Amino acid sequence: MLESFAKLATSVAKESRIILRDRQALILFFIMPVLFVLILSLALRDAFGDRPGATFPVLVVDQDGGEVGEAVMSAFAGSGHFKVERSGRPAPDIAELERAILEDRYKFVIMIPAGASEQARRRVEELAANAPPEMLSAQPVELRMLADPTLRLDYRTMVRAALAGTLQGMEMKLYGRQLEQNLKAMGIPAELPHEQNGTRIFAEVRDQPLHSGDKHIIPSSVQQNAPAWTLLAMFFLAVPLSVSFIKEREQGSLFRLQTMSVPPWVVLGGKTLPYFIINQIQMASILLVSVYVLPLLGGDRLDIGNAPLALMLLGASASLAAIGFGIAVALFARTAEQATSFSSAVVMIMAALGGILVPLAVMPPLMQHFAMISPLAWGLNGFLDVFVRGGGLTEVIPEALGLLGFSAACHALAILRYRSRL
Amino acid sequence: MNDPVCPAANASSLAPAFEAENLCKTYKGGRAPALDHVTLTIPRGVIFGMLGPNGAGKTTLLSILCGLLRPSAGQVRVDGKDVRYEAACIKRVLGVVPQEPAIYPTLTARENLGYFGRMQGLSGDRLEERIRACLEIADLVEVADEQVNHFSGGFKRRLNLVIGLIHEPQLLILDEPTVAIDPHSRYFIHQRLRELHAAGVTMILSTHILEEAEQLCQEIAIINQGKIVAQGPLEGLLRSQRGNCIEVRLESDPPDSLAATLRQLPGITDVLVMGRNFRIVTPAPDEVVAPLVATLKANDMRVLSLSFGTASLEQFFLSRTADRGAS
Repeated sequence: MLESFAKLATSVAKESRIILRDRQALILFFIMPVLFVLILSLALRDAFGDRPGATFPVLVVDQDGGEVGEAVMSAFAGSGHFKVERSGRPAPDIAELERAILEDRYKFVIMIPAGASEQARRRVEELAANAPPEMLSAQPVELRMLADPTLRLDYRTMVRAALAGTLQGMEMKLYGRQLEQNLKAMGIPAELPHEQNGTRIFAEVRDQPLHSGDKHIIPSSVQQNAPAWTLLAMFFLAVPLSVSFIKEREQGSLFRLQTMSVPPWVVLGGKTLPYFIINQIQMASILLVSVYVLPLLGGDRLDIGNAPLALMLLGASASLAAIGFGIAVALFARTAEQATSFSSAVVMIMAALGGILVPLAVMPPLMQHFAMISPLAWGLNGFLDVFVRGGGLTEVIPEALGLLGFSAACHALAILRYRSRL
Repeated sequence: MNDPVCPAANASSLAPAFEAENLCKTYKGGRAPALDHVTLTIPRGVIFGMLGPNGAGKTTLLSILCGLLRPSAGQVRVDGKDVRYEAACIKRVLGVVPQEPAIYPTLTARENLGYFGRMQGLSGDRLEERIRACLEIADLVEVADEQVNHFSGGFKRRLNLVIGLIHEPQLLILDEPTVAIDPHSRYFIHQRLRELHAAGVTMILSTHILEEAEQLCQEIAIINQGKIVAQGPLEGLLRSQRGNCIEVRLESDPPDSLAATLRQLPGITDVLVMGRNFRIVTPAPDEVVAPLVATLKANDMRVLSLSFGTASLEQFFLSRTADRGAS
């Protein structure tokens, strides 16, 4: 047994030496994934739109200069998602505003017509006096919105809903004020509460992220990209691993080892352990870069939660799954070319399906359902459990078991194939 | 999982080096058996030539002898041990030199020897001593620390050979050790094999180079379509062939009917045709020569050469595998 472990150590050292002498492979293993995470986390940070920094520039053309404009301004400025600019009178013309949007200076333009506040006040007064509709002199106040045509429809809907909410609040305020005046005119003393703290009926809706620890983290692009590209890098290692196996088979060194008194687990372990270590280094380097380097470049810092054991379990399980896949490919493929094209195609499909290339959150429900057949989706979910949902070791066990099951299935297939060749 | 405890080598030293009895192997989906009741005994201390055309079953037989393939039926004993139950012990006394250089191209010669030496269970001073000895045997001392991918084909084959010797095996299987190398490297390897033979190492040499087998081997077996068609000491086999055939080489391609015409001549028992070469099997060559030449002349065939009374290994090989050559 001791001799077999000595042989395993020798095999690991030999394989590591071969890998370390392959500079192209080293760049592919370590530099590429880190660069991907840096580039994509920086490039996509606003696409996730979940931080104060991710802002849409909005122009409020306020020809009114009254309280309607004030209400709109404060509603947008308070959300943190918008960078609001105000333009007073004289108003720029529509063509100029459209150009400003097409030139990407603003995502939205909100236009408040002149006299809007006064018109709103008069309309409330007439409605409160129960004037019949045909006798109303003040028409409904109409605000207009211009939006970037390339924006997603849900963003436009969201802004329109925010505006509607603000105007509804404005209506309530004007009605209250009118009611107060009417009561006073009838000799009834009335003092309704006005915009004072503690006078609201409904408190602000609290957006409570799901969590089981004491972290409340809003997902950011780095929290998606760091685990996603870690997993992709890990699974892509199946390509060189399978090629390396096939090369050994073609060169005859695997045959030579089989003629020696070397147990198969030593041959297998000696080949795969270095790749397991590479996978762990890949994960550690991507996480470290996301925590320490990304903020220096202006990106978000990755909050890795407080469950290092859960991360280690996920890293080990994902690596074993990738290695199992690589071994199965090596046993079934006849040539290195066949292994390369097959394994990279399968990994890319699993990545696309598993929310690596396109986040699961933006997929339609049916696709999210299908995504769950990809082991990469299990891994990604596990990482998001830790990074976003504040989960720990217990929460990632189902995902880890899934990955280990996938690994076991691949190994079983490989063993069956190996035995059928004897 | 436990490392095997093997009996001392002298416990079975009286047994033949290799024995196969009624060995059969059929691959899944294979139309014909790769090995068909092969029985073979290889005594100790010889260089044993394993000859046969491509696809004859040589590689299958060698793979079973190495313990890499399970036979469908039959028994195999190596060094007196059954390969089914004592494969691990057999592997310790057996060295294998594969056909293609089975080496790691990005490792140096020394690193390759060190790695395979450790895989054979060597370590420490013993390993260092064996690496040094193997580098000297292969005359690779000066390039020992260069990566193998910079080596010539001949150097790679030399390294391939000595990796098989790193643990000083007493039984050695060599699969085409000199294919596609220059005459100097081939001569170099032949010399090393002669030295190993002198040191008492038993070798199975699988080769297509019949001249090589004739120079090196004391015994041979010819395998054809999964069957052993000839086996025994080389000299004896060639002697048995001597005197009962006439070899004829014609200047031009003969008509298809010529073999049948010749078979009708009195005293001729068989005619084998291989292109322009004819082998006339006869118990009385002296009496057949004159009517044979006359018949060839009558068929407008000019004779380039004619010989009888001697047989080379090539002639012997061709006669035993003629059905495949003709097909």
